[in-house]
Amino acid sequence: MSGSVRQARIRRYRRLMAGSVLAGTVGFAAAESAGFPVVGVVIYWVGFAGFLAVWQGTSVSLFDERDRALERRAIAIATTAFVLGMILLWPTMVVLSELEIYTPPPAFDGALLAIAVQSGLFAVVYSWLRYR
Amino acid sequence: MNNTVREHREEHGLSQADLADAVDVSRQTINAIERDRYDPSLELAFKLAAYFDCRIEELFDPALEFS
Repeated sequence: MSGSVRQARIRRYRRLMAGSVLAGTVGFAAAESAGFPVVGVVIYWVGFAGFLAVWQGTSVSLFDERDRALERRAIAIATTAFVLGMILLWPTMVVLSELEIYTPPPAFDGALLAIAVQSGLFAVVYSWLRYR
Repeated sequence: MNNTVREHREEHGLSQADLADAVDVSRQTINAIERDRYDPSLELAFKLAAYFDCRIEELFDPALEFS
């Protein structure tokens, strides 16, 4: 197989993976709004299963080390930006709430809880990776 | 990191896709390496050196300086 044929296969399989998840998600939304939530969940899982089947079923490597490096970097930047933003916003929200100027939506507390849980999980995983 | 991957690839008459195929990465990864936008792992650097049958230092120059 020539290089360009293999690259075309990679592109095609990646599109199939994305299309499978998209079809599952759209199918879920459509079935849910049509009043068939269970069917929607089944469609969603079929879409996800299609994603896994293409990913694991092909003999071509669909993601290489650079893809993984970019993914790690993007996750680190996105997580840091979100956590930093929330940490900076938190005392401001407390003060605004106590002064009865603005009350943050309940989702704000949920996000803070998620950050706390994620930080704890991070500490456990980091320690395990470091001292194993 | 400075590298001579493009020069070696062109010497061998290969396209980026051909080289990518040979070392099992995407064409975009080879392009990023050639443009110094991505430093490959040690494993991939050794693969490239083995493929071109040269020493790894002939492909990659980290420009290290020690006092």
